[in-house]
Amino acid sequence: MLTFAEELVLLLNDEDGVPVPVQEDAFACALAGAVLMDLAFAYRIDTDLQTLVVTGRTPIGNPTLDRILRKIATRPEAADTRTWIRELSVDEAAAIHEEVLSSLVERGVLARQAEKFPWILRTPRHPIIEGEAAHGVSRRIREALHSDDIPDPRDITLIALLDACDLLADIFPAAEIEQCRARIEQLRLMDLIGRELAGAIADIERTIIAALRARSARFRKLLLHLSVFGGLAATVALLAPRIPAPDRFGPSLLQSLWFDGLWQQWSGYLLLGFSGAGLLAVLLLKVRPVARLGGGHWWRLAHVGFGLCCALLLFAHTGFRLGANLNAALMVSYLAALAFGALAGISTNGAPQLRRMGITPKLRSILMRLHRVALYPLPALVAIHILIVYLY
Amino acid sequence: MAKKAALWILCVSGTLIATAFVAIWMVVGGDRRMLLIGKTTDAHHQIETACETCHAAPPFAFAAAAAKALNKTCRNCHEDALQAAEDSHARKRFRSPRMAVYWQKLDVRLCTACHVEHRPEITRPGAVTVAADFCVACHSEGDQDVRKARPSHAGLPFDTCASAGCHNYHDNRAIYEDFLVRHADRPWVAAVPVHGLAMRSRNQKVPAEAAKRGAALAPAVALAAPTALHDWAGSGHAAAGVNCAACHAPTAAQDASRAAVEAQWIAAPDTAICWDCHKAQVKTFAEGRHGMRRHPSLAPPRDPSRRLEAIGLGGLLPKAAAAWLADPPRPVRMTVAEARLPMRPEAAAKALHCGTCHQPHAVDTERAAVEACASCHDDTHSRAYFGSAHHELWRAELAGKAPLGAGVSCATCHMAKVERGGKVVTSHNQNATLWPNEKMIRPVCLDCHGLGFAIDALADADLVARNFQGRPATIHVKSVEWALRRTQGGVHDHFQATR
Repeated sequence: MLTFAEELVLLLNDEDGVPVPVQEDAFACALAGAVLMDLAFAYRIDTDLQTLVVTGRTPIGNPTLDRILRKIATRPEAADTRTWIRELSVDEAAAIHEEVLSSLVERGVLARQAEKFPWILRTPRHPIIEGEAAHGVSRRIREALHSDDIPDPRDITLIALLDACDLLADIFPAAEIEQCRARIEQLRLMDLIGRELAGAIADIERTIIAALRARSARFRKLLLHLSVFGGLAATVALLAPRIPAPDRFGPSLLQSLWFDGLWQQWSGYLLLGFSGAGLLAVLLLKVRPVARLGGGHWWRLAHVGFGLCCALLLFAHTGFRLGANLNAALMVSYLAALAFGALAGISTNGAPQLRRMGITPKLRSILMRLHRVALYPLPALVAIHILIVYLY
Repeated sequence: MAKKAALWILCVSGTLIATAFVAIWMVVGGDRRMLLIGKTTDAHHQIETACETCHAAPPFAFAAAAAKALNKTCRNCHEDALQAAEDSHARKRFRSPRMAVYWQKLDVRLCTACHVEHRPEITRPGAVTVAADFCVACHSEGDQDVRKARPSHAGLPFDTCASAGCHNYHDNRAIYEDFLVRHADRPWVAAVPVHGLAMRSRNQKVPAEAAKRGAALAPAVALAAPTALHDWAGSGHAAAGVNCAACHAPTAAQDASRAAVEAQWIAAPDTAICWDCHKAQVKTFAEGRHGMRRHPSLAPPRDPSRRLEAIGLGGLLPKAAAAWLADPPRPVRMTVAEARLPMRPEAAAKALHCGTCHQPHAVDTERAAVEACASCHDDTHSRAYFGSAHHELWRAELAGKAPLGAGVSCATCHMAKVERGGKVVTSHNQNATLWPNEKMIRPVCLDCHGLGFAIDALADADLVARNFQGRPATIHVKSVEWALRRTQGGVHDHFQATR
C-alpha cells in the first residue's frame, strides 16, 4: 500500500515525469501533513489542543515515516501540531520528497531520468513505468468525487489534505473541482474513522490551512500587489502619452537621463544588469539546492522586484519612447516581457481570486509562455542595440 | 528534454546568428535602414543610408574621436553656406581658450552641441536639438548679458530670440544694425519693383556658340521623334548651336559619322551631361534638397572586400558572398514620393534631375520657374501662389505688360539669381534662401520691398502660408526702430565693438 506522501507525489507527477507546477509552500505543507496523517493512521501519533504526542514508537517499516516518528519521539520538549507542520514543511519537505521519489523508483512505479541539458539546470524527471499504481490514485480520487458511493477513508483523508492545501485544482481541471465542491464538503463530514483518529486528522488539516494562510498570504499578497503595479506600469508605458523633453535650457535631470550619452550608458548597463539578475533569480529557482535557500517565495519576490526596477530603469533610459526600427523592436519586446510577466504574476498570486471569477489556471501557463516568448529576442536585440551605439 | 534543449539551442544560436548578421551589416556591408535609431531630419533623410558621410570615424573609435570626425563632416557640406552667411557664431571664434567658460555651458565648437541627428523627439525647426531658449547659455550674464547691453531687450524672454523673426544663430545678416539703419526709410514697396539680377539674366544673350556643340548628326530614330526636335529647335540650345549629340553622344567627335554617333548614343542622358556646360547650376543643384544625393561629399556605397581587408579579413570572403553583402544600390535621384512636404500624388514617381523641371529638349526656364514646381508641390504656400500679387506680376511680365524682372515666380525667391564672374546665374539650391527664411531678404525681397516690411512679412507664418496675399498684420519686428533709436541716441554698440 502506498503512503499518503507517495500518493501525493504520484498525483503531482505528469506522464513525462515532470512535476506539476504548484505553490511550493502548499506542496511542502501537504507533504508534512501527509507524513503526519500516515503516522496517525498507523496509530503512532495523536493530537490534542496543545501537543502532538507519540502514542507508539514501534517502527512502521517505511523509512521515511520511521525517521519522522523518531524525530518526533526524541524531541525533549512537547510541541503542538502547528510547530511540527512548520518544522517538517520547512526542514524536511525536500528530504521527504526525495525519499518518496526514491521509494517509488525502488518499487518500480517511477523511473529516474536525469536531464542532460541544460547542464546548469540538471533536474531529474520521473516518468511513470507502472501505470496502474500511478493512475490508480488519480482514478480513485476522481471516483470518490463523482460517485455517491462511500469511498475509502484514506481517499477521503487525501482529498481533504489536497483541498486544505488548495492543490485539487492543480491536479484536476478547476471547473471539475468547482462542480464537486458540495461533494468535497460532504466527504469531509463523513464519519468513517474512529473519533480520536478523525480528531487528529482534522487537527492536522486545520493546522495546515492556518499555516499555509499565514505563510503564503503575506508573500502572495505582496507579489500580487507588485505584479499589479508592474502591470499598470507596463500599461502606462505602452498607452500613456510620452513626457515631452524639457523645453528650457539648463541643467535638467530628464534631459540628462534621456539625451546625455554618459547617463544613457549608466542607465543602459544598469538595466542590462537588473534584467540579468531578474533572469538569474528565476533560473536559480529551478536549481533545487539554491531554491531551498530562503524558499521559493524570496526568489520570486526578487524576480518581481528586479522586474519592477527594470521598468523604472527603462523609463530612465528611454522615457518609454519606442524609437525606430530595431530599437522599437527592442522596446516592444521589453515592454511585452514586462507586461506579460506582470500578468503572469497576477494570475499566479491571484489564482484563488481568479478561480472564483471562473478564470482557469490555463491562463497562467499561457501568460507564462507569452512572457518567455517576449524574452527570446531580447538578448539579440540588446546586443545589436549596444553595437549600434558604439559603432555609430 | 529534447524540446527544452532544442529551445535553448534555438535561442542561443538565434541570438548569435542575428547579432553576427547585424554586426556584418554594420561593419562590412548590407542594408542598414533597420539600424536607424530614429527618424532622420528633413535635411538628411534622403542620404540617411550613406552613413559614412557623417559617421566617418572608424568602428569602435573613442567617443572624442568619433565626435570630432562627425563634426568635421558637417563642414564638408555646410561650410560654404556658413561662410556666405557670415556666420555670427563661427566655430573659429570659440576655439580660443578665452571662450572656455562658454564651452561648459554649450560647447558650440561642435555642431552636434545643437544639431543631433535621429532625435525626432527633440528636433525643432532648423534641425535644432537644444531648447528654444538656448541663447540664455551665454547671453544672460557678464559682458554678454544682452539685457544689460541692449536696454530694448530687457524683459524679452530668451525663447523668442530665434522665434520672433529677429535673430538666427548663424545668419544674422538681415538685422545687422548698419543694414537696418541704411534701409530704414524704404517704402514697403518700391516705385518700380524689379529684380535687378533677374532683369539682367533675362537680358543675357544666348551665346552665339556654346562651349560644346556636339556632332551635327543624330540617329534617324531620334530625329523621327517630332516633339523632341520641335522643342529643341525653339530652345536656347538650338540658338547656341548645341546639337543632339552634345548631350546624347557626348563622347562622339564633332565631325563623327552618323554610325559613330549612333554607336555612342545615350537615349536618356544624365545630369552629369549638363555639368559639362552648366557647372554652377549643377553644383548648386547638388547643394539643395532636390539634388543632394549627388553631393560630392556623400560617402560612396561600401565595398565589402575592402571593408574586410580593413579589419584583417581580406580574402576570406568568397566573391559571391561579397556581392551579396554589398550595400544596396543608392538612388542618385530623389523621387517626389520621398518628399516630406505635401506633394501631388500623380507626381510621386517623378525622379528629380535637370530634365524634370527644364524639359530636356525645350529647356524652358519659364516653365521651370513656376509650372514645374507646381506640378509636384501641393502645400498651402504653393497653392496660394496662383492668384497672388506675385503671380500676377509674373503673368504680366510674361505677357510683356510689365518690365523684365518685375515678375515673381517660385524660382525668383527659392532659386535666387546670383552674380558670378560678372555673369548672372540661377542658384539651383532651393535651400539657399530658406532656413531661416530671412536669408531671402537681401538677395530677393529688398529688390522690391522695404526692409521693415520684408522682416515682418517673413516672420508672419500665416502670411507666408497665404503666399503674401495681404500685409503683415499680426507680427511686427521692432528691429528697425530699435536700431534707429540706438544709433540716433548714440548708445554704444557693445556687440559691434567686440566683433
